[in-house]
Amino acid sequence: MEMIIILVVLALLAFWVARIYNQLVELQNRHENGFSQIEIQLKRRYDLIPNLVETAKAYMSHERETLEAVISARNDAVAGLAAAAGNPGDAAAIQELAGAEGVLSGAMSRFNVTMEAYPDLKASANMTQLSEELTSTENKVAFARQAFNDQVTEFNTYRSSFPPVLFANVFGFNSDAALLEFEDSQAIQAAPKVSF
Amino acid sequence: MNFFQAQNKARHNTRLLTLLFIGAVGSLVVLTNLLVLVFFVDGQPGLSFTEQISQAPRELWIYTSLGVIGLIAVASGFKFLALRGGGKAVAESLGGVLIHQNTRDPQQRQLLNVVEEMAIAAGMPVPPVYLIREDSINAFAAGFGIHDAVIGINQGTLDLLNRQELQGVVAHEFSHILNGDMRINLRIIALLNGILILGIIGGALMRGSMFSRSRDRGGLIALGIGLLIIGYGGTFFGQLIKAAVSRQREYLADASAVQFTRSSQGIANALKKIGAHSTGSRLQSPQADENSHLFFGSIRSFSSLMATHPPLEARIQALDPNWQAQKGFGRQNMSAGSGTSAASQFAGHSEDFSQRCGSANLPSAQQLIASADESLNTASHETFEARALIYAMLLSSDEATRGHQLSLVQQRAEPGVPGLVPAMYERIQRQDLQHRLLLLDQAIPTLKEMSRPQYQRCYDLIGQLIVADGQVDLFEWVVHRIITQELYAHFVQPFRGSGRISRQSKVDTQVARTLSLLAATGARDDNQRQLAYQRGAQLWGSRSAMMDIQSFDYQALNQSLEKLRHLNADLKAKFLDACAAVAAADGQLRDSEFALLKGIATTLDCPLPPLDN
Repeated sequence: MEMIIILVVLALLAFWVARIYNQLVELQNRHENGFSQIEIQLKRRYDLIPNLVETAKAYMSHERETLEAVISARNDAVAGLAAAAGNPGDAAAIQELAGAEGVLSGAMSRFNVTMEAYPDLKASANMTQLSEELTSTENKVAFARQAFNDQVTEFNTYRSSFPPVLFANVFGFNSDAALLEFEDSQAIQAAPKVSF
Repeated sequence: MNFFQAQNKARHNTRLLTLLFIGAVGSLVVLTNLLVLVFFVDGQPGLSFTEQISQAPRELWIYTSLGVIGLIAVASGFKFLALRGGGKAVAESLGGVLIHQNTRDPQQRQLLNVVEEMAIAAGMPVPPVYLIREDSINAFAAGFGIHDAVIGINQGTLDLLNRQELQGVVAHEFSHILNGDMRINLRIIALLNGILILGIIGGALMRGSMFSRSRDRGGLIALGIGLLIIGYGGTFFGQLIKAAVSRQREYLADASAVQFTRSSQGIANALKKIGAHSTGSRLQSPQADENSHLFFGSIRSFSSLMATHPPLEARIQALDPNWQAQKGFGRQNMSAGSGTSAASQFAGHSEDFSQRCGSANLPSAQQLIASADESLNTASHETFEARALIYAMLLSSDEATRGHQLSLVQQRAEPGVPGLVPAMYERIQRQDLQHRLLLLDQAIPTLKEMSRPQYQRCYDLIGQLIVADGQVDLFEWVVHRIITQELYAHFVQPFRGSGRISRQSKVDTQVARTLSLLAATGARDDNQRQLAYQRGAQLWGSRSAMMDIQSFDYQALNQSLEKLRHLNADLKAKFLDACAAVAAADGQLRDSEFALLKGIATTLDCPLPPLDN
């Protein structure tokens, strides 16, 4: 009689552990899918930036430095994104991306400040359209990032809660997923360089 | 034949199969008991076999039987739960990558459009689509029902098939979902797994006992061998049955797909291309075996008995009788005429409204999508903008209320959203009801990409916008119903009707109330109302008198539907038919009637295709 009870209890335990495993897998997949959504939005942003620079070049012929800073920051960010997309669970890659994005935001805000001095450029149809698309993409990036971070938090919380914490390492979920923190672009408003 | 009928048939088949398997398990139990008796119980010499059986202690039978049944139950349960993880789990285990609604890859965009058309044509929620990186031509559908359904497509399929052929393949997959094939397969696989456990244990016993020194060693080994034979033998025959059933369902799915797309050309050509392709439809992934029946084409080269799919030639022959098998697959540019004869055989003759409620209407869906506003269409596929779309849909035409609602959006929505809403409102005002509901259907899968907190915020705001004017009108109710049914199920907890109510008398009041409301929504005067109600009541078989309903009371409706949700499948279909009859009684389908029908159908988890205007 005891055998049967023991077997039943074991079976229930096994079901329960299987459930924990399935949930861990589900939450991990969810945040990985969330990352690829950020990827789509960031790619769109990175595609818009060269157009922006080309349009600006015609007017801002003396602001080569600023424009070049934007392009090089953008290229670094593209590389960072490719690295992170290959492995959204890798904390180092996410950090790199966040860093590259930070540099890009800084370059973009300096560019915006510089653009204030060129009202013709600012008013041109091309530029207004591009700026508008860029802003909308920024919003979408922010939204996708928020979703991703929520999903990462959910995964991390579940992973470290009891009882999944007992089995997480065994099942190969060894580390917390990394949140994607972009530094607030307002905070990196460096003073515009005035060159004579 | 419509989907309700197909599902009914599938359910009856499942019951037969279940009986078969119970019989199989029963015989396994008996066999195991005999084995144990023969090898374990010290028989008294001189007694005949039957006397030995009656002499054996009662506990022996009880323990053995319980043991066998218990083992099978546990192993089946495991498998059931694993598979029941939903289509997503299956797709991801096969290495699938989710395709986002706002993808910019043109191939993937086309695929999403095809899947969306199909889902809207069938009136079911748009399933997520996964991409499998294999070069062969194949596709699969996974999931238990229309809510956790998932479509997966191989890269090869996207590369090699044209739009019409892709449509045929996707239609075939949708047919699997809508015909209830998943349920049958789930049960079969789970049960087979249970039987297989016996064989595995037999093997383990056998190996384990080889090294034991106990007295019963010989008996244990023999028991092990016996169980091995029973387990694996049982599994073998079970697999044969499973394969036979799977083949039959494939033919059915092919036929349903033709009905779906109103043409047999797409699927036939896709099959011909598979035949001509070097890797055909075979898959590399080892996990695919378990789910082999879910795929469009056979994933391994099985012998004919174990094949999960009928031979390619036979399938093509069924779709395109003029095709000649001996000529091989080389010729794909068959004349356009070859497909039409088969198509006319399967053409939907569903002029009858209620017939249409269970069958898909692809041309209507395509036309609806094509005539929609381009920018609103794009917005419904971007997670960020889709919310603005919904908020805009809920804005009142009364300026004062609208102002109040806009300030709510300003306060509660994420930055960037309030700016989008006014422009969208302008565009939405120009859309008719069918298009608004289409946009809503399109936005649902997009909104599923939100995170849970984001969803919560969005859902709360939607609720506030609806009650901003102090009342809930029909359209607001439908929007709220659809959003709740789909998104709440996805983010919080899926609700599934229990199907426990099987007696009509239990829901007479609720049915009467709903039918009365439907009648009141469409009719112009009392006479018409009565007539319409009578039609529905007759179909349902109710004697209750029509209730006098003066205004749309969403709470009363919700209460009635709460109970009606638990109807069993047959009664649900009957109820929807009755509703459809009421709406169609005056020969005209008004927007409000359609909206109400859609809300009811969504709550009851039944697909409701768009209707020709």
